[in-house]
Amino acid sequence: MGNAYLAVKALLDALEVEYVIPPFCGREALRLGSLVSPEEICLPFKINMGNYLQSIERGADTVVITGSCGPCRFGEYCELQARILRRLGHDVDFIVIERPSEIGLRGLLRRLKRVAGDSGKRGAQKLNALIWAVRIMKLIDALEARAHTLAGYEQNRGECRRLLHAFRRDAQEANGPNEMAGVIRAYGRKLDAVKTDRAKAPVKIAIVGEIYTIIEPFANLYIEDRLMDYGVSTKRRLSPGWWVDNLLRSALRTPSGAHRAARGYLGLEIGGHARECIGGAVLAKEEGFDGAIQIFPMGCMPEIVSKSILPSVARDMDFPVLSLVVDEMTGEAGFVTRLEAFVDLLERRRDRGVSGR
Amino acid sequence: MTVGIPKGLLFHKYHPFFETFFTELGEEIAVSADTAKDTLDLGAQYCVDDACLPVKVFHGHAASLRERCDLLLVPRFMRVRAREFICPKFCGLPEMVRHSIPGLPPVAGAPIYAHTDACFYGWARETGLCCTKRVSRIKRAFLIALEKQKKHRTGIDDRGFSLRVALVGHPYNIYDPYVNMNLVKKLNRLGIGAVTEENLADGLIDAQVRKLSKRPFWTFARNAYGFAVHMAECGLVDGIVYISSFACGIDSVTTELIRLGAPGVPYLLLKIDEHTGETGFDTRVEAFADLLERRRARGPHLPAHGKRLSGGKGAAGRA
Repeated sequence: MGNAYLAVKALLDALEVEYVIPPFCGREALRLGSLVSPEEICLPFKINMGNYLQSIERGADTVVITGSCGPCRFGEYCELQARILRRLGHDVDFIVIERPSEIGLRGLLRRLKRVAGDSGKRGAQKLNALIWAVRIMKLIDALEARAHTLAGYEQNRGECRRLLHAFRRDAQEANGPNEMAGVIRAYGRKLDAVKTDRAKAPVKIAIVGEIYTIIEPFANLYIEDRLMDYGVSTKRRLSPGWWVDNLLRSALRTPSGAHRAARGYLGLEIGGHARECIGGAVLAKEEGFDGAIQIFPMGCMPEIVSKSILPSVARDMDFPVLSLVVDEMTGEAGFVTRLEAFVDLLERRRDRGVSGR
Repeated sequence: MTVGIPKGLLFHKYHPFFETFFTELGEEIAVSADTAKDTLDLGAQYCVDDACLPVKVFHGHAASLRERCDLLLVPRFMRVRAREFICPKFCGLPEMVRHSIPGLPPVAGAPIYAHTDACFYGWARETGLCCTKRVSRIKRAFLIALEKQKKHRTGIDDRGFSLRVALVGHPYNIYDPYVNMNLVKKLNRLGIGAVTEENLADGLIDAQVRKLSKRPFWTFARNAYGFAVHMAECGLVDGIVYISSFACGIDSVTTELIRLGAPGVPYLLLKIDEHTGETGFDTRVEAFADLLERRRARGPHLPAHGKRLSGGKGAAGRA
């Protein structure tokens, strides 16, 4: 899922737990996953299955996945995935991390212990490793966010994108949280050195929608890379680090800014991140963005609700929103055409002063 | 004041309650007509295109009531059993309807938590206050309506047919003959009786569901899975027929869990959407009926893959 794996890698390195990193999500993972998945399940499930199969090939014997108790179908992933893998004859252990209200605090600790069971480290060291992992996750988020914004201002088109790709490659080589943090800092400095033209007024687009498909580049046909190539500044509120924060927020029951912004349109929790999607679009308008792109996998229940509300947001706030639905059939050409047309539309609106800036 | 009640989604299960509640409050009620082609057309016109068929049908019912009512009831079912959910689209239904259909009267879309009577009353109070200021009157109407609802029984249990199948699916797909193209009648005509989940005791469903590694959090999934697997395991049915709407998120999981949970039992998965052609649908149902009949005649031994059922020389393998 995007670069979240780098933080998990740092964590497991520090714990000295053996792990397998599957190849980057790609056609092969999706092909393998689609073969064994139910036809109408959403795209993340299929990509996950492909990742598992590729990891099992490389010797993985345990799958760690977070659970949830609905109402979105992600909560049922673990049950179905475990059963399908068992039927395929793979004897893998599924460790499902659930919230304590469901399995009890003791149940949660027992499951966490199973994850870190082989680690020779003491409790305090384990906790320290976890804190480091979260910190690294946030550093990576910040690095990505900066590159996505800078892409609109860079003088040599494509520089930020190339830096991000190089970062991914180097980070994977890093051993342990300290080295990882070093790599992040080095690339932060490289981003500082990117030649920019502050006089430019790039088109600015917010990316909202279902969390997996907006974070995993393969699932959204590398939309952020494409937009960077077009010289568009993008912002995505949801990220792995945000997800961790959100866990704490929901435990403390404090509403996020996006929830507050969405209140006029969708006041109740309906599962997934529908409220973040609506709120994200509202906030993007307030922050001076030119438009928003919503991405979700075909059949995603919460995002279908937000898709039906977004036209009202667009109308009320005079803010163009493009909804893109992805699944294993998505054709690249049609996708790119729609994306280019949307960027053209935003450029013209800006040049003719329609957007009211 | 006239309250519009769309005949879609869980209407078939809860209509005695809603009708009685508003009548007891002294309001007129307007119920939309049975689902027909124009309902579906209206729904497809207004509803977001990614939604499933039942949600589109509901939009059609709601749109057809636009001019006929002053308050439109859009039940936002959040929960009907403790710690379970219905479906994200149900939770956001009033928003979907309000933002998709222009020219609607005010929408009564308070959340319904019907797992206890006290929580259910929360909805009645909030909605009743749109009609009257007297809380005592609301309470009385609520109790009468609840009484009526508790007497209301749904469920199909056909007797006197040589074959019997478990008919599984969401109630709005099973009880709307337009949406399922008269599936129950079609089965009956082929000599197959249907039985639905309402006829199985709750405890038996629970016992089945407890065997899963994780407690299912959708009421629909719990009922469908527990019922289908129990009937199959106990040999109470000859097969399972699952009627599911295209792109239903819950069914994408449930149908697969049933397939894995009841191996070796004939299983027909029928998908419906607004384009479903009736001929293809009929062919599949008929082929399934043939399969059940042959299994009954020759015993439940499935032939090895690639071999024909009819015996005799030259029929043993694929040429």
